[in-house]
Amino acid sequence: MIEAINLSKTYQAGGQILAAADRVNVNVARGEMVAVVGHSGSGKTTLLSLLGGLTRPDSGQVLIDGVDIWSLADSALSELRNRKLGFIYQFASLIPTLSVLDNVCLPSTFGPGLDNLIGTAKELLAQVGLADKANFYPAQLSGGQQRRVAIARAFISAPAVILADEPTGDLDEETEREIINLFRRVNEEQATTFVIVTHNREIAAQTHRQLVMKDGVLDAAI
Amino acid sequence: MKKLNLFKLAVCNLQRKVIRTILLLLVAALVSGTLLSATVFIFGMQNALKIGTYRLGADVLVVPAKNEEQARTALLAGKPTSFYMERAVLERIRKVEGVRVASPQIFIEPSSFTCCYNVDVFLVAFDPASDFTVMPWLEKSSRVTISGDEVIAGRAMPLMTGATIPFFGTPFKVVGTMEPTGMKFFDQSIFMTTDAAYRMAENSASRSMQPIKLDKDKISAVLVKTDGTISPERVALRIMHDLDDVKAIASDEVVNTVRKQLSGLLTGIVAVSGVLWTMCLFMIGFAFYMIVNERQRELGMLRAMGAKRGQVFSLIILEAVLITLAGGLLGLGLGFGLLFALEDVIRTGLQLPYLLPSPMVVQELVVGSLLFSVLTGLVSALLPALLASRLEPYEAIRTGE
Repeated sequence: MIEAINLSKTYQAGGQILAAADRVNVNVARGEMVAVVGHSGSGKTTLLSLLGGLTRPDSGQVLIDGVDIWSLADSALSELRNRKLGFIYQFASLIPTLSVLDNVCLPSTFGPGLDNLIGTAKELLAQVGLADKANFYPAQLSGGQQRRVAIARAFISAPAVILADEPTGDLDEETEREIINLFRRVNEEQATTFVIVTHNREIAAQTHRQLVMKDGVLDAAI
Repeated sequence: MKKLNLFKLAVCNLQRKVIRTILLLLVAALVSGTLLSATVFIFGMQNALKIGTYRLGADVLVVPAKNEEQARTALLAGKPTSFYMERAVLERIRKVEGVRVASPQIFIEPSSFTCCYNVDVFLVAFDPASDFTVMPWLEKSSRVTISGDEVIAGRAMPLMTGATIPFFGTPFKVVGTMEPTGMKFFDQSIFMTTDAAYRMAENSASRSMQPIKLDKDKISAVLVKTDGTISPERVALRIMHDLDDVKAIASDEVVNTVRKQLSGLLTGIVAVSGVLWTMCLFMIGFAFYMIVNERQRELGMLRAMGAKRGQVFSLIILEAVLITLAGGLLGLGLGFGLLFALEDVIRTGLQLPYLLPSPMVVQELVVGSLLFSVLTGLVSALLPALLASRLEPYEAIRTGE
């Protein structure tokens, strides 16, 4: 489903070259749920961005369904992100002047064939426990509720792969549990592939496989 | 529920910082309104000049040499005046080579008879037999002949056809109105026959508190139409060569004088407008640079959701164009409001001919102004939009954190 081959990415910081990803090789099968764990600054988020086509690697390839995503033109890569990938971040980043429902439907603005998603959006909001908040605005929601809206938004185009970066960071335990349960349900029911970057060992323990990132090197499965 | 699209997204984005949006809109409105009013103003003056010159009808205007300046002021600024020369000049002018028609006119400066109107009135007496400058310019609904104690009113005179107005104790009936020209000399004049003027002067001794003396051997000016064999300038020179103490002014010379008067003003208007527009471009451009900067993470998120570079570019451009277009619409109101409010000030204050362009031209200017507003938005936000579209999604998200 999603494969990284000799993936490398370096950054310059304070005159030093830091390897955020150093010849990373990883293969995540369809329907697999993988956790990437590691210390802060180990390159987990960079790896996720490389896999999601958000940053170009210095070398190596990322294949999604056998297609080298970095060989695609910007519009094709954008379309792939729109249709096949869903991103979840630590922050909600909702548009404050759009209603909750519109925020969930936002990806449909950018891709063809994503019409009539209002019903789907409402279902997703129900799944994250916000059915009654569809017409609210982000400022009327708590931080946790905003994050759940962002999660619903990531699922709106029924993506094949969800790339989640600390999806439950700063959330209370109950919300965290609800979200992980949602991930597992979607994973089981729709065979959605998950790559989850997390510090949380409990969450990592619930995935099919755990990978450890250290100084840009994807060390080994635990 | 309406489907979300780039337009709705752009509108929502503008609603986030309402005060900033309103300020940018006001800047766009101010610039657009200023540019529009400046353009209409320039068109108005050129229009008046064109119509006024055409309306003058004469190729050459002959006046007493010592009154040349007064004549020019009367013609260009519409300042009422009186000056006279011998009527015998008329016959001699008619004999000058190149002259086809010569028609006399008498200018009478108003006095206390302007009791009822708050506008300057200029009395012009003409000879209907030789006239070629007054009667052809009557409004279509007006009569085509004038006799006895009848007058024709300039367009700016608050007089209706059929009304009666007294001059120097003699009541006159308004039998027609002139087409508007934008030049006070025509628009604020009352035209009567020379016979009527002499009769009015004769009667004024017994009927008016301020009688007027008008010698039948005197006229103020001779309007000349050339036969086309020689240029008006040459005819003017010949007239001045053959006759003493007269100044013959070719109509082109009059136009050139006005053009010279206008050119400085126009250069100033164009320069100020250019500076204003450049400032507007920089202000909106800078504001959008800030907007892109403060929304970096969000723009990165949009790219992660599948927004193409072109869509991010369009979103920023759309926001800028919406502001400048709304500003342009507001500017239309401001511009035209200003022009209508200051129409009289322009005419009297600047002493320049001015006539609002025709509705067709105004329509074109309105469309042009709105297109220009769109262009302003597009140009000003071009760089920030390019910058936004070229952001690497991950970098944008990370920088914005």
